[in-house]
Amino acid sequence: MTLLQTLTDSARNLAVRSPWIYRINAGSCNGCDVECATTALIPRYDVERLGCQYCGSPRHADIVLITGPLTAHIKDDVLRVFAEIPDPKVTVAVGVCPISGGIFRESYAVHAQVDQYLPVDVNVPGCPPRPQAIIEGVAQAIAIWRQRI
Amino acid sequence: MNFLRIFARNLLRGPSTVPFPFGPAWTPARMRGRVQFKLSSCTGCRACEQVCAPGAIRFDKTPEGLRFMMWHNTCVFCGMCEFYCPTDAIHQSDDWHMAHAVGEKYGMAIREVIPYTACTGCGMKTLASAPNPIGVVPPFTPEEVEQQRNQCPACRKKALAERGTPS
Repeated sequence: MTLLQTLTDSARNLAVRSPWIYRINAGSCNGCDVECATTALIPRYDVERLGCQYCGSPRHADIVLITGPLTAHIKDDVLRVFAEIPDPKVTVAVGVCPISGGIFRESYAVHAQVDQYLPVDVNVPGCPPRPQAIIEGVAQAIAIWRQRI
Repeated sequence: MNFLRIFARNLLRGPSTVPFPFGPAWTPARMRGRVQFKLSSCTGCRACEQVCAPGAIRFDKTPEGLRFMMWHNTCVFCGMCEFYCPTDAIHQSDDWHMAHAVGEKYGMAIREVIPYTACTGCGMKTLASAPNPIGVVPPFTPEEVEQQRNQCPACRKKALAERGTPS
Protein backbone atom coordinates (compact mmCIF):
# COMPACT_ATOMS: atom_id res chain seq x y z
CA MET A 1 0.00 0.00 0.00
CA THR A 2 2.77 2.40 0.94
CA LEU A 3 4.69 1.43 -2.20
CA LEU A 4 1.58 2.16 -4.31
CA GLN A 5 1.15 5.48 -2.50
CA THR A 6 4.78 6.41 -3.14
CA LEU A 7 4.50 5.47 -6.80
CA THR A 8 1.31 7.52 -7.21
CA ASP A 9 2.88 10.50 -5.49
CA SER A 10 6.03 10.38 -7.62
CA ALA A 11 3.95 10.00 -10.79
CA ARG A 12 1.89 13.03 -9.74
CA ASN A 13 5.02 15.07 -9.00
CA LEU A 14 6.33 14.24 -12.45
CA ALA A 15 3.00 14.98 -14.15
CA VAL A 16 2.48 18.44 -12.66
CA ARG A 17 5.57 19.66 -14.48
CA SER A 18 4.21 19.06 -17.95
CA PRO A 19 0.53 19.63 -18.71
CA TRP A 20 -0.37 19.01 -22.34
CA ILE A 21 -2.42 21.54 -24.21
CA TYR A 22 -5.20 20.73 -26.63
CA ARG A 23 -6.91 23.34 -28.75
CA ILE A 24 -10.59 23.19 -29.76
CA ASN A 25 -11.80 25.48 -32.52
CA ALA A 26 -15.49 26.07 -31.77
CA GLY A 27 -16.19 28.02 -34.95
CA SER A 28 -13.49 30.64 -34.52
CA CYS A 29 -12.60 33.19 -37.22
CA ASN A 30 -9.01 31.81 -36.97
CA GLY A 31 -7.66 34.99 -35.36
CA CYS A 32 -7.33 33.44 -31.92
CA ASP A 33 -6.02 30.20 -33.44
CA VAL A 34 -3.22 32.11 -35.15
CA GLU A 35 -2.34 33.71 -31.81
CA CYS A 36 -2.43 30.29 -30.10
CA ALA A 37 -0.14 28.88 -32.79
CA THR A 38 2.13 31.93 -32.39
CA THR A 39 2.30 31.31 -28.65
CA ALA A 40 3.44 27.75 -29.24
CA LEU A 41 5.57 27.87 -32.36
CA ILE A 42 7.44 31.18 -32.37
CA PRO A 43 10.59 31.20 -30.21
CA ARG A 44 9.79 34.76 -29.17
CA TYR A 45 6.78 33.63 -27.07
CA ASP A 46 7.41 29.88 -26.60
CA VAL A 47 4.75 28.50 -24.25
CA GLU A 48 6.86 25.34 -23.83
CA ARG A 49 8.99 27.17 -21.26
CA LEU A 50 6.08 26.57 -18.86
CA GLY A 51 6.37 22.83 -19.45
CA CYS A 52 3.40 22.77 -21.81
CA GLN A 53 3.21 20.98 -25.10
CA TYR A 54 0.51 20.99 -27.74
CA CYS A 55 -0.86 17.52 -28.40
CA GLY A 56 -2.92 16.19 -31.28
CA SER A 57 -5.31 13.93 -29.44
CA PRO A 58 -7.95 15.03 -26.93
CA ARG A 59 -7.26 11.86 -24.91
CA HIS A 60 -3.78 13.14 -24.01
CA ALA A 61 -4.85 16.63 -23.02
CA ASP A 62 -4.70 18.35 -19.62
CA ILE A 63 -5.39 21.97 -20.52
CA VAL A 64 -8.00 22.81 -23.18
CA LEU A 65 -7.94 26.09 -25.09
CA ILE A 66 -11.33 26.90 -26.62
CA THR A 67 -11.62 29.55 -29.32
CA GLY A 68 -14.71 30.67 -31.18
CA PRO A 69 -18.32 31.37 -30.29
CA LEU A 70 -19.58 27.74 -30.43
CA THR A 71 -21.49 27.88 -33.69
CA ALA A 72 -24.65 25.79 -34.04
CA HIS A 73 -22.94 23.72 -36.75
CA ILE A 74 -19.95 22.66 -34.62
CA LYS A 75 -21.61 22.49 -31.19
CA ASP A 76 -22.25 18.72 -31.01
CA ASP A 77 -18.72 17.92 -32.23
CA VAL A 78 -17.16 20.27 -29.67
CA LEU A 79 -19.16 18.70 -26.83
CA ARG A 80 -18.18 15.20 -28.01
CA VAL A 81 -14.47 16.04 -28.23
CA PHE A 82 -14.61 17.79 -24.86
CA ALA A 83 -16.17 14.69 -23.29
CA GLU A 84 -13.23 12.62 -24.59
CA ILE A 85 -10.69 14.68 -22.61
CA PRO A 86 -9.89 12.84 -19.36
CA ASP A 87 -10.36 14.49 -15.97
CA PRO A 88 -8.76 16.43 -14.33
CA LYS A 89 -8.76 19.06 -17.06
CA VAL A 90 -8.63 22.85 -17.04
CA THR A 91 -10.50 24.84 -19.67
CA VAL A 92 -9.29 28.22 -20.94
CA ALA A 93 -11.60 30.37 -23.07
CA VAL A 94 -9.37 32.32 -25.48
CA GLY A 95 -10.83 35.49 -26.99
CA VAL A 96 -14.12 37.26 -26.31
CA CYS A 97 -16.17 34.88 -28.51
CA PRO A 98 -16.29 31.88 -26.14
CA ILE A 99 -16.63 34.18 -23.12
CA SER A 100 -19.58 36.27 -24.27
CA GLY A 101 -20.06 35.84 -28.02
CA GLY A 102 -18.20 39.06 -28.78
CA ILE A 103 -19.09 40.45 -32.18
CA PHE A 104 -21.37 37.45 -32.88
CA ARG A 105 -23.39 37.87 -29.69
CA GLU A 106 -27.16 37.43 -30.15
CA SER A 107 -26.68 35.77 -33.55
CA TYR A 108 -29.00 32.88 -34.40
CA ALA A 109 -26.05 30.78 -35.55
CA VAL A 110 -23.95 30.76 -32.36
CA HIS A 111 -24.51 29.23 -28.93
CA ALA A 112 -22.21 31.56 -26.96
CA GLN A 113 -21.41 31.73 -24.07
CA VAL A 114 -19.43 28.49 -23.99
CA ASP A 115 -19.70 28.22 -20.19
CA GLN A 116 -23.37 27.39 -20.58
CA TYR A 117 -22.27 23.99 -21.93
CA LEU A 118 -18.72 23.39 -20.65
CA PRO A 119 -17.05 24.13 -17.30
CA VAL A 120 -14.69 27.02 -18.16
CA ASP A 121 -11.98 27.92 -15.61
CA VAL A 122 -9.98 30.83 -17.05
CA ASN A 123 -11.08 33.61 -19.39
CA VAL A 124 -8.63 35.46 -21.65
CA PRO A 125 -10.48 38.41 -23.23
CA GLY A 126 -9.18 40.10 -26.37
CA CYS A 127 -10.04 40.04 -30.06
CA PRO A 128 -7.64 38.30 -30.45
CA PRO A 129 -5.67 38.37 -27.18
CA ARG A 130 -1.97 39.03 -27.65
CA PRO A 131 0.35 36.02 -27.23
CA GLN A 132 1.59 37.24 -23.85
CA ALA A 133 -2.02 37.41 -22.62
CA ILE A 134 -2.57 33.80 -23.74
CA ILE A 135 0.63 32.79 -21.89
CA GLU A 136 -0.74 34.59 -18.81
CA GLY A 137 -3.99 32.63 -19.09
CA VAL A 138 -2.12 29.34 -19.55
CA ALA A 139 -0.01 30.17 -16.46
CA GLN A 140 -3.21 30.68 -14.44
CA ALA A 141 -4.60 27.42 -15.85
CA ILE A 142 -1.43 25.54 -14.79
CA ALA A 143 -1.84 26.91 -11.25
CA ILE A 144 -5.44 25.61 -11.18
CA TRP A 145 -4.38 22.29 -12.70
CA ARG A 146 -1.72 21.72 -10.02
CA GLN A 147 -4.42 22.02 -7.36
CA ARG A 148 -6.67 19.55 -9.17
CA ILE A 149 -4.27 16.74 -9.94
CA MET B 1 31.22 30.44 -42.36
CA ASN B 2 27.85 32.11 -42.04
CA PHE B 3 26.82 29.85 -39.15
CA LEU B 4 29.81 31.09 -37.13
CA ARG B 5 28.53 34.65 -37.47
CA ILE B 6 25.04 33.57 -36.36
CA PHE B 7 26.59 31.57 -33.52
CA ALA B 8 28.60 34.56 -32.31
CA ARG B 9 25.58 36.84 -32.58
CA ASN B 10 23.40 34.45 -30.56
CA LEU B 11 26.12 34.19 -27.92
CA LEU B 12 26.29 37.97 -27.59
CA ARG B 13 22.59 38.80 -27.77
CA GLY B 14 21.15 35.87 -25.84
CA PRO B 15 17.83 34.17 -26.59
CA SER B 16 15.14 36.12 -28.45
CA THR B 17 12.36 34.72 -26.23
CA VAL B 18 10.64 37.43 -24.21
CA PRO B 19 10.94 36.64 -20.49
CA PHE B 20 7.20 36.99 -19.76
CA PRO B 21 5.63 35.59 -17.48
CA PHE B 22 8.90 35.39 -15.50
CA GLY B 23 9.78 38.98 -16.34
CA PRO B 24 8.24 42.11 -17.82
CA ALA B 25 6.80 42.09 -21.35
CA TRP B 26 7.22 44.84 -23.89
CA THR B 27 4.00 46.74 -24.63
CA PRO B 28 3.58 48.88 -27.76
CA ALA B 29 2.90 52.56 -27.02
CA ARG B 30 -0.37 52.54 -28.98
CA MET B 31 -1.63 49.25 -27.52
CA ARG B 32 -5.42 49.26 -27.18
CA GLY B 33 -6.18 47.51 -23.91
CA ARG B 34 -8.44 47.88 -20.90
CA VAL B 35 -10.94 50.75 -21.23
CA GLN B 36 -10.85 53.58 -18.72
CA PHE B 37 -13.90 55.77 -18.19
CA LYS B 38 -13.70 59.31 -16.78
CA LEU B 39 -17.14 60.12 -15.39
CA SER B 40 -16.45 63.86 -14.93
CA SER B 41 -15.77 64.32 -18.68
CA CYS B 42 -18.72 62.31 -20.04
CA THR B 43 -21.31 64.40 -21.88
CA GLY B 44 -23.87 61.57 -22.01
CA CYS B 45 -24.11 61.89 -25.81
CA ARG B 46 -24.11 58.06 -26.18
CA ALA B 47 -21.94 58.16 -29.31
CA CYS B 48 -19.80 55.32 -27.91
CA GLU B 49 -22.90 53.15 -27.51
CA GLN B 50 -23.84 53.87 -31.15
CA VAL B 51 -20.44 52.94 -32.60
CA CYS B 52 -19.72 49.92 -30.35
CA ALA B 53 -19.90 46.99 -32.79
CA PRO B 54 -20.25 44.11 -30.27
CA GLY B 55 -22.54 46.11 -27.98
CA ALA B 56 -20.15 46.15 -25.04
CA ILE B 57 -21.21 49.67 -24.04
CA ARG B 58 -24.72 50.33 -22.80
CA PHE B 59 -26.48 53.36 -21.31
CA ASP B 60 -29.56 52.86 -19.11
CA LYS B 61 -31.86 55.40 -17.53
CA THR B 62 -32.10 54.65 -13.81
CA PRO B 63 -33.84 56.61 -11.01
CA GLU B 64 -30.42 57.96 -9.95
CA GLY B 65 -29.30 59.08 -13.39
CA LEU B 66 -27.85 57.82 -16.65
CA ARG B 67 -25.91 54.61 -16.01
CA PHE B 68 -22.88 53.79 -18.17
CA MET B 69 -21.96 50.10 -18.43
CA MET B 70 -19.02 48.66 -20.33
CA TRP B 71 -18.15 44.94 -20.46
CA HIS B 72 -14.51 44.01 -21.09
CA ASN B 73 -15.53 40.44 -21.86
CA THR B 74 -17.54 41.63 -24.89
CA CYS B 75 -15.26 44.48 -26.01
CA VAL B 76 -13.20 43.79 -29.15
CA PHE B 77 -10.79 46.68 -28.43
CA CYS B 78 -11.42 48.35 -31.80
CA GLY B 79 -10.98 51.86 -30.39
CA MET B 80 -14.06 53.36 -32.04
CA CYS B 81 -15.48 54.63 -28.72
CA GLU B 82 -12.30 56.53 -27.99
CA PHE B 83 -12.21 57.89 -31.55
CA TYR B 84 -15.76 59.24 -31.43
CA CYS B 85 -15.79 60.51 -27.81
CA PRO B 86 -15.97 64.33 -27.97
CA THR B 87 -14.34 64.85 -24.57
CA ASP B 88 -11.91 61.88 -24.28
CA ALA B 89 -14.00 60.57 -21.39
CA ILE B 90 -13.42 57.04 -22.68
CA HIS B 91 -9.83 55.99 -23.17
CA GLN B 92 -8.11 52.71 -23.95
CA SER B 93 -5.07 52.21 -21.75
CA ASP B 94 -2.17 49.91 -22.64
CA ASP B 95 -3.07 47.43 -19.86
CA TRP B 96 -3.58 44.00 -21.44
CA HIS B 97 -3.34 41.88 -18.26
CA MET B 98 -6.95 40.76 -18.43
CA ALA B 99 -6.77 36.97 -18.09
CA HIS B 100 -8.94 36.11 -15.10
CA ALA B 101 -10.53 33.16 -13.34
CA VAL B 102 -14.11 32.59 -14.40
CA GLY B 103 -15.41 33.61 -10.97
CA GLU B 104 -14.34 37.19 -11.66
CA LYS B 105 -16.23 37.24 -14.95
CA TYR B 106 -18.92 39.67 -13.84
CA GLY B 107 -16.39 42.00 -12.23
CA MET B 108 -14.81 42.76 -15.62
CA ALA B 109 -17.10 45.73 -16.21
CA ILE B 110 -17.29 49.47 -15.64
CA ARG B 111 -20.47 50.72 -14.01
CA GLU B 112 -20.80 54.47 -13.45
CA VAL B 113 -23.84 56.72 -13.03
CA ILE B 114 -24.13 60.29 -14.31
CA PRO B 115 -26.43 61.65 -11.57
CA TYR B 116 -29.47 63.87 -11.94
CA THR B 117 -29.29 67.37 -10.52
CA ALA B 118 -31.49 70.46 -10.33
CA CYS B 119 -30.69 73.16 -12.90
CA THR B 120 -29.19 76.27 -11.29
CA GLY B 121 -31.07 78.47 -13.79
CA CYS B 122 -34.63 77.11 -13.83
CA GLY B 123 -34.64 74.30 -11.23
CA MET B 124 -35.57 71.59 -13.74
CA LYS B 125 -34.27 68.02 -13.18
CA THR B 126 -31.35 67.51 -15.54
CA LEU B 127 -28.27 65.31 -16.02
CA ALA B 128 -25.08 66.59 -14.41
CA SER B 129 -23.01 65.77 -17.50
CA ALA B 130 -20.11 67.72 -18.96
CA PRO B 131 -21.03 70.17 -21.78
CA ASN B 132 -20.25 69.22 -25.37
CA PRO B 133 -17.15 71.16 -26.42
CA ILE B 134 -17.59 70.70 -30.20
CA GLY B 135 -17.81 74.02 -32.04
CA VAL B 136 -17.30 76.12 -28.92
CA VAL B 137 -14.79 78.91 -29.67
CA PRO B 138 -12.88 79.83 -27.54
CA PRO B 139 -12.89 76.50 -25.67
CA PHE B 140 -14.58 76.13 -22.28
CA THR B 141 -12.54 77.03 -19.23
CA PRO B 142 -12.74 74.54 -16.32
CA GLU B 143 -14.95 77.01 -14.40
CA GLU B 144 -17.38 77.22 -17.32
CA VAL B 145 -17.53 73.43 -17.54
CA GLU B 146 -18.47 73.22 -13.86
CA GLN B 147 -21.06 75.99 -14.34
CA GLN B 148 -22.63 74.32 -17.38
CA ARG B 149 -22.63 70.91 -15.69
CA ASN B 150 -25.38 72.00 -13.31
CA GLN B 151 -27.61 73.54 -16.01
CA CYS B 152 -30.40 72.08 -18.15
CA PRO B 153 -29.93 72.02 -21.97
CA ALA B 154 -32.04 75.19 -22.46
CA CYS B 155 -30.07 77.16 -19.86
CA ARG B 156 -26.81 75.87 -21.37
CA LYS B 157 -27.86 77.24 -24.77
CA LYS B 158 -28.78 80.56 -23.18
CA ALA B 159 -25.42 80.79 -21.42
CA LEU B 160 -23.63 79.99 -24.69
CA ALA B 161 -25.58 82.71 -26.52
CA GLU B 162 -24.75 85.26 -23.82
CA ARG B 163 -21.12 84.20 -24.00
CA GLY B 164 -21.09 85.47 -27.57
CA THR B 165 -18.81 84.59 -30.45
CA PRO B 166 -15.35 86.04 -30.98
CA SER B 167 -15.23 88.86 -33.50
